[in-house]
Amino acid sequence: MSTAAPAARALLARELGDGAVREGAEADAVGGIVPGAVVTPAGEEAVAAVCAVAHREGLALVVRGAGTKQRWGRPPRRCDAVLDTRRLDGVVEHAPGDLVCTVRAGTTLDELRGVLDAAPGHRQWLPLDPPQGGIQTLGGAVATAASGPLRARYGTARDLVIGARYVLGDGTVGHSGGKVVKNVAGYDVTRLLVGSLGTLAVITEVTVRLHPRPAATRSLLLERASAARLGELADRLRTAPVVLTAADVCWPDATARLRVEGTEEGVVEQAAALAEISGARILDVGEAEAVDSALVVRPWRGEGAVAGLAFPRTRLADLLELASAYATEMVVRATLGVAEARLPESPEVVAQLRAAVARLGGHLALHRGGAALAGAAWPSETGPEVALMRALKLSLDPAGVLAPGRALGDVEHAG
Amino acid sequence: MDAAVLDGLRAAVGASAVLTEPAAVRAYECDGLTGHRAVPAAVVLPLTTEQAAAAVRVLHRARIAFVARGSGTGLSGGAVAITEGVVVCLARMRSVLAVDIANERATVQPGVTNLAVSEAVAQHGYFYAPDPSSGSVCSIGGNVAENSGGAHCLKYGFTLHHVCGVTMVTAAGDVVRLGGAVPDTPGYDLLGVVVGSEGTLGIVTEVILRLVPRPPTCITTLAAFDSMESAGNAVSAIVSEGILPAAVEMMDRLTLEAAEAAVHAGYPDCEALLLVEVDGPDAECRTVLAAVDRICREAGGTETRVASSAAERALLWRGRRAAFAAMGRVSPDYYVQDGVIPRTRLGPVLNGIRELEREYGLRVGNVFHAGDGNLHPLVCYDGHVAGESEKALELAGRILDLCLAEGGSITGEHGVGLDKACHMPKMFSAGALAVMERVRHAFDPDGLCNPAKLLPTPRLCGEVPGPYRPHPIETAGLAERL
Repeated sequence: MSTAAPAARALLARELGDGAVREGAEADAVGGIVPGAVVTPAGEEAVAAVCAVAHREGLALVVRGAGTKQRWGRPPRRCDAVLDTRRLDGVVEHAPGDLVCTVRAGTTLDELRGVLDAAPGHRQWLPLDPPQGGIQTLGGAVATAASGPLRARYGTARDLVIGARYVLGDGTVGHSGGKVVKNVAGYDVTRLLVGSLGTLAVITEVTVRLHPRPAATRSLLLERASAARLGELADRLRTAPVVLTAADVCWPDATARLRVEGTEEGVVEQAAALAEISGARILDVGEAEAVDSALVVRPWRGEGAVAGLAFPRTRLADLLELASAYATEMVVRATLGVAEARLPESPEVVAQLRAAVARLGGHLALHRGGAALAGAAWPSETGPEVALMRALKLSLDPAGVLAPGRALGDVEHAG
Repeated sequence: MDAAVLDGLRAAVGASAVLTEPAAVRAYECDGLTGHRAVPAAVVLPLTTEQAAAAVRVLHRARIAFVARGSGTGLSGGAVAITEGVVVCLARMRSVLAVDIANERATVQPGVTNLAVSEAVAQHGYFYAPDPSSGSVCSIGGNVAENSGGAHCLKYGFTLHHVCGVTMVTAAGDVVRLGGAVPDTPGYDLLGVVVGSEGTLGIVTEVILRLVPRPPTCITTLAAFDSMESAGNAVSAIVSEGILPAAVEMMDRLTLEAAEAAVHAGYPDCEALLLVEVDGPDAECRTVLAAVDRICREAGGTETRVASSAAERALLWRGRRAAFAAMGRVSPDYYVQDGVIPRTRLGPVLNGIRELEREYGLRVGNVFHAGDGNLHPLVCYDGHVAGESEKALELAGRILDLCLAEGGSITGEHGVGLDKACHMPKMFSAGALAVMERVRHAFDPDGLCNPAKLLPTPRLCGEVPGPYRPHPIETAGLAERL
């Protein structure tokens, strides 16, 4: 625990009142540091007040939603207080005719789904399915750019978020984007916040574009396929007359799960075309649900580090060979050239797999690391690109208030 | 300009690629929004990333401001030069460097035109999805700067979604690679903020684009309506039913007449026309098309017609793309506005525009990307009538107020540039603008890279008098716009 913990707690309590501040506990630890305080601001103004105090007093804050991804990035160097966003909750506005929804950052994906499902006469959803499930907050999903199988069709938070409100580390309140999908006014600061691991700003509100929930879906499964056959399949999917919602290869299972959606007539046609191209079997409803729900949490269940990999999609077969050599399990979004792999928490394994993926023309970044892997989160921490990232962090958070050291480009703060 | 600086520029790009003659540099004084003009001190025309970087290093050392420029077709004054500054024109960098169909990527130089990318990959059954109306002349570098859209971004997304990586010369002359051929580059998404930054964060010298397979089926249909409001209702109804067409475009009587006169597209005689395109797997298209037809008739459509051939489809689109230029046939001058509203608010906003027409005694043509609520009102005026151009600009600004009142945006695809920098405080709080300033400062601490664009400055917005105050009204109407 930080020696200044009681002082930090007192400062924050003076600002927010005792009810919004409590002492940090073991369960609140971030990267092994038990915070002096956990603050739970009830609104954006209170977030700004907390940040202003932290900036003035030199405190470090770590933003937390549901806490499902606190091990992402590098462990922050300091953590005087956890800023819990869960009282920033609720849907601000759902405009079904415009397919947009404005949501406070601490709202969970389950809560959002509930509100959207309850809208009479509309079938809309936010097609974002990161493996941490419905308990995670939207703010957390945006700050980590976490994604799941639906990414193949709908993209990540980068593609679904159209606007945000946020608070910088010094308490400056800003907003970017807006409530219309098409909008090029000003810098797209929202894009910078996606995947920034809470190091550039505290996201307080997010506006997302929604999609119509499809009338029909079909899932197909190909089993016991060799790496070479799966590689060929990925290439054939490129020109198939279908619009894939998801295409996931699981290894070492050696399976491919394909999914299409649309009108009932459309999915019948597309599933038939896919079955012919791939040799995959069209699943009945019960089996499809079982396969889909088992897939969406992989490869996150179980011990070990989890890495995100990117590679040229034509090298799928080679990537699967690497998975056999290094990974406990791997799930590949076959049409995108991205994968998630669960690995032993060994710097040597990470370094070897990283080098091998780089030889394919790709890269590896750790999502869920661990103390042993703190120095291995990213491929490189030098170069003019990283210098720009660092300049950005220094410009937006000069005092290093927000999770100092957690993100690439924050090396100076890491001391 | 200082002789040593000019020598440095000549050493960087070659003597023949540095222009200083008044007649030569005057050609770079404005972009597609011709009301804003400034003649640069010099123009450099690099052929490679290294040349561009070397030139920028010279300018950075001398603290001379510069403006990157592609084809100069922008409609917000984003590429207007700086007096005493330098234009870095990328138009000579027009090679398609690599096409990798199996990985669905093309690597191009920034001067390559938007349409040339699609042409380069058409033989493989692929295309480049963003399709601004100026696609045959506008450059990819400009598209990156503006985050260009086009009719088909309703379904396919904007330039942001189709640029995987760029090579960029920073304001200090360093060469950085942001993003790349594969997704998820570690670290902050600098590429995400560079796309759409209007040339203020660096000069993009190479671009990796995502290619998209041509859909198996593509059908264009039109629907005629006797009022803009019922056409607007049809658009809302289509989207509300969960249908996402590839494009939904709307034109009013004035723009239809102009476009018809220009290209003879065979549009029906009506108050409002919807042009709807659906694409994808065949069965999906047929189902969706039937639904669109039904919805349009229910909303009061008087005629619906499916293009019966590829030639007819191309003709329908040619009329739409020619709509801006065709306005020259019905009005001596016009100002193209670009605003966005939630598409469910089309009816009230169009009524508001009609009221403004009456208030100002000027005609406003309406042609727009109705599917995503992106309006392009064309404010008609005669620059030779005293005071009319001022009235037109004022009316155009009032349309932005209507957009903002409905929760929309002051620009959907043309950018802020010089033209709308002073409107930014209407849309963004002081805090939000301060954050944008801090982003800009991180990339360009010396303020050399396309200064006075995108963000409001006291000088530009008239809060403080200064020696250089480009007054759009004084020069509007000097020439027809592209």
